[in-house]
Amino acid sequence: MTSMLIIVFAISLIYLSVTERFRIYAGLVGLQGLLLFGLSFLQLDRITLATVLFVAIETLLFKVIVVPYLLFTVIRKTGVARVHEKALPSFYSLLFVTMGLLLSIVVSFSMNTTPYNLLFFIVSFFAVFTGLFLIISHRKIFSHLVGFLVIENAVLLLSLAIGSEIPMLINLGILLDIFVSVLILGIFVMRLRQQTDDLTILKDD
Amino acid sequence: MIEAAYIFILFFAISLVLGLVVGLIHSKPLARALTSFYTLVHIAFTIYCWMHRGETVLDYFTFDTLGLLLQSVLSILSITTVYHGFIYVKNDPPRIYAIYHAALIALIASMTGAYLANGMTTVWIFVEATTLAVAALIYHDRTAIALEATWKYVFVCSIGIALAYIGILFLGFTVRDARLLHLSFSSITEIARMANPLYLKIAFVFVLVGYSTKMGLFPMHTVTVDAHTVAPPPISAFISTTLMNVGFLAIFRIYALFSATPILPFMNHVLLLSGFLSLLISAGYMLKAKHNKRMLAYSSLENMGIVAIALGMGGIGYYAAILHIILHSFAKAGLFYQMGQSYKVMGTYNLDESGNYMNLYPAGATALLLGLLCITAIPPSGMFISELLMFKAMAANGDYLYLAVAALLLCYVLYALLTRVLHIVFSQPRTSSGKLHEKVNPWQTVSQFVLFGLVIFICFSQPAFFRDLINDIIQNLPR
Repeated sequence: MTSMLIIVFAISLIYLSVTERFRIYAGLVGLQGLLLFGLSFLQLDRITLATVLFVAIETLLFKVIVVPYLLFTVIRKTGVARVHEKALPSFYSLLFVTMGLLLSIVVSFSMNTTPYNLLFFIVSFFAVFTGLFLIISHRKIFSHLVGFLVIENAVLLLSLAIGSEIPMLINLGILLDIFVSVLILGIFVMRLRQQTDDLTILKDD
Repeated sequence: MIEAAYIFILFFAISLVLGLVVGLIHSKPLARALTSFYTLVHIAFTIYCWMHRGETVLDYFTFDTLGLLLQSVLSILSITTVYHGFIYVKNDPPRIYAIYHAALIALIASMTGAYLANGMTTVWIFVEATTLAVAALIYHDRTAIALEATWKYVFVCSIGIALAYIGILFLGFTVRDARLLHLSFSSITEIARMANPLYLKIAFVFVLVGYSTKMGLFPMHTVTVDAHTVAPPPISAFISTTLMNVGFLAIFRIYALFSATPILPFMNHVLLLSGFLSLLISAGYMLKAKHNKRMLAYSSLENMGIVAIALGMGGIGYYAAILHIILHSFAKAGLFYQMGQSYKVMGTYNLDESGNYMNLYPAGATALLLGLLCITAIPPSGMFISELLMFKAMAANGDYLYLAVAALLLCYVLYALLTRVLHIVFSQPRTSSGKLHEKVNPWQTVSQFVLFGLVIFICFSQPAFFRDLINDIIQNLPR
């Protein structure tokens, strides 16, 4: 079951890298949240009310409900539905992302880890690669935000690979990160759209 | 030990309460009074921490020498930053005034937490908190350019912090148990010695790249350059000094942690690469920059490059790195305060519109020249000593190619800074800004002279206790 969820997560990353509609971006980020909830739940050693509640808040509430809701709100308020200024056509994006996947496989295999962790490693590295790729290859701020959220998901996925019982401090850290991404970035995306969508004011000449 | 824990909690409780009161009650006199009071509280807390040096409180924090030294720099610069902040925001509406000071209190508190943190996760949480606090300060002017700079800062820092977190998670893989991640640095040192070097290398690279957003080092340097350009000058002073020190501390901690492992040569190579690329970029862009504060921002990149190179050189280079980071804090803060005053006098940050500063404000121009002397490491600047020690480390290692390249790049930086600052001070503006000149009270420049005086004093005499403190910090590093 765990392997299946991770593979679906990897497929969602490939889809994210080639799609051009922002609504699909938001939907896929929500789907990844749902997959992370499933993975977190399956990783739990002891099922207590506190742990289930924490996992539910971290993944179901924030990543499945709050984050996609805010992304859809940004799409509605800014009125931008598609990626217009993509640096690369979809075919080349697919090519780059496939290379990223291969690279993640090579790096993960060279780490001599257990077969169980190997899958977590491959997809986490791939998610970091995809997130950075989205940020670098797109010019729209919304795509940058989605790229950042994908990197955040990679961090959570990697933390699940460490151990079944993640310390509360790490969980709090991840929650703080989600708070920053949702609240601050959400506000700024909307404000930036009102004033400018092209981040080129600050330069050296 | 229990008393120290109570004092520690009390300090953060005071920070929280004062920050909330200042932020929620939009009263200028109250904000001024409470922020001044907080500065005193911070100084008192720093003195208390020194009295309990070496103690660990609540498991997650420790009063170690490096943390305390950087905290002391923060205490000193808090006084000057708060003072110049009062002048900068005096005409702002009460709400903006209150937000500025609440965010400043939050920034000082979160930097203090990061300095005293006793584990990578704790450092990470406080570094994240500094991003939130400083974002409100960069956005202070509420202009389109401020919005862009804030967006870039929050965005790139968040990515950097996420990458640093991946590095910390790899540390978890090395210890094979996530529960050990929050343990103290000293506990992890023992485990790291037996860990798989590949995992340690990955952890180090991720942490270096991640925290370079805070340290302002290549490859994530662009974000701090933009933030410096836009933030109010007192905040630029903070970002360029105490906040960069937070990034340095996080990188130094993990460097020290792994220095007893076989990956030490790898870490040194990565630091040297990052340092030299920082020097190269700062040398190139400093000549291109037409914004006076942006020029200083590239100077910060250059100095962080020097620190990384000194650290990567090892031996006497460790001493040079610590000395340089402390002296740079004083010199750069003074220069940013002075640049804020020059804006009032000349009405512009644009290099072409700047000039004739010596005639317009002689005290400020003298301070700027003195600051230039300090930051370019020309004797009698104390930074001359730290850079000389760095070159000495290179010569001791037989790395003459590194020495030649570093000297060449520093000459380039020196030329860029000298020509620009001398133009501001003595030449006539190339174009007119069309803005009226404002008067500055010369007493407002005293703090800059004091800071530059500290940097110059170190050139002539390094007090024994100061030398002992730096030697205490580097004593466990391989010679």
